[in-house]
Amino acid sequence: MRQKHALAGIAMYVLATVFVCYLSLENIETPKVWGAMLWLTGIFTAFNTMQKAFMNEGSGTVIYLYTLVNPKQIILSKAVYNAFLVAVLNLVSVFFFVLFFGTAAISGADLSQFLIGLLLGSTGLGLALTFVAGLAYKSGTGAGLVAILGFPIIIPLLITMVRYTAFALEGMSFSQNSLNLLVLLVLNIVSLVLAYVLFPYLWRD
Amino acid sequence: MLCVIALGYSAVFSFWHPMGAGGLEVSATKFQPGRNEFIFTGYNTHFQSDRASLQVFVANDSSAVFKADILEVISEAKAVVSVFLPDTISSKRFEFYANTDTDGTVKVESPVGSEGFVIEKGADVLDTKVRVKNNHSEKFGFPYQPIIIESIRNLMWHVPMWFTMFVVMTISFIASLRALSKKNIVPTNTINIHDLKASSAAGVGLFFCTLGLITGSVWARFAWGAWWTNDPQLNGAMVVFLMYVAYFILRKSVPDEEKRARLSAIFNIFAFVLMVILLMVMPRFAEGLHPGKSGNPAFSQYDLDSSLRSVFYPACLGFILLGYWLYTINYRINKLELENEEIS
Repeated sequence: MRQKHALAGIAMYVLATVFVCYLSLENIETPKVWGAMLWLTGIFTAFNTMQKAFMNEGSGTVIYLYTLVNPKQIILSKAVYNAFLVAVLNLVSVFFFVLFFGTAAISGADLSQFLIGLLLGSTGLGLALTFVAGLAYKSGTGAGLVAILGFPIIIPLLITMVRYTAFALEGMSFSQNSLNLLVLLVLNIVSLVLAYVLFPYLWRD
Repeated sequence: MLCVIALGYSAVFSFWHPMGAGGLEVSATKFQPGRNEFIFTGYNTHFQSDRASLQVFVANDSSAVFKADILEVISEAKAVVSVFLPDTISSKRFEFYANTDTDGTVKVESPVGSEGFVIEKGADVLDTKVRVKNNHSEKFGFPYQPIIIESIRNLMWHVPMWFTMFVVMTISFIASLRALSKKNIVPTNTINIHDLKASSAAGVGLFFCTLGLITGSVWARFAWGAWWTNDPQLNGAMVVFLMYVAYFILRKSVPDEEKRARLSAIFNIFAFVLMVILLMVMPRFAEGLHPGKSGNPAFSQYDLDSSLRSVFYPACLGFILLGYWLYTINYRINKLELENEEIS
């Protein structure tokens, strides 16, 4: 993912997805749909990005990393980078959503609450999918397995994110939404810890 | 052996036990001052055979109780009654009671509208207290629950299936942990027993998960009116189902045995932890339709009475033992298949 053209490709994918959403919906009237569409775009972007999380490394790079670095450092750096990447991509997709759909539907939104959720949801997606991408990479069957293994794993995250975002966009007070935020946080931590503990077993050959 | 006895016992009794008596509905839609006639419908009651002791009361928020005159008993479950109501009452909520010696008291809480009454707090009590008879009659039967009624029998099937799934998945989880631990790494060309155990147990778990989804879906159609509802437990169960299907797809797609054992064990551990969060933790935070949440009738200690318990606990035991037995069979089949492959 260090290549510029790959990043540009993903940004273009985000734009195209949001544009397709716009063409099929034209306008969004409720904050709930606004949030749900945003996350649907978000997970497909994340899947598209994460499928390449390990695939793009040439076999030379893998052997180089394998001999030099502790696997825990690899997963940590990959996870942090990917979480950051997904968060940035989701911010980009928020920008496009505002551009196409306007902010009429979400005029009552609690912006800081929404952004915290966006950040936590994105990092959760990044962490869980990095781990799944590693698993798919090691299975040697190509990127298709990422979607099969990844979807069931991120559904809990998705349910919580959509609910949290809908509440935040409707402008509910923070105390009513804190439970969803807690679940998001727990899922983030669980994904990170499991990935960190299990990845060394995955990495050795 | 114990398994067969427990399963047989619970299977027989979950169908054989009669339902306890309960109040189903009243035909009235609106009450007015003066005489009001309506039909009281019970469930599994004995109005006809116990005509002599039958009494029907209309209670107004329990403070004022009016005794109704029984005009005609149509059947064991239906009686035409008429009640005289004064023009001042204490609230617009009515409850209906029917007493017989055989069934004790059965109660109906129906939304009945009213018209022309003057609401007076603490309006005079016209009759004596409702003579609520002892509900625990001599007969042995499942307690009556509104809406659920006869489908309470599904409790003996649906719930133990999920318990069994948890037990079997835990076996699978532990086997996966052991498959990953260093001292259990086996040289190539020999079978990794722990991996075999994990996959056999997960297969049985997936089977019970599917059964649980089906029985749950049928029950949901009856009690909640739809095959699928947006309930956290249902969604969680679906995700668990998808996760373990993905687990088997992962296994099928890795040809190398040693690698398959490692990758599927890693995925299994991940899936199990998520499953615990999904089915045990998350539903407690979210609103849903399952018992014990957001104002639903709960199978609390109060509801799960001795007749239900006496069938429910053996059913759980029987199902868990059945699950374990299936797991050992599945394990032996898989092992034989692997050995067969190596020979040929």
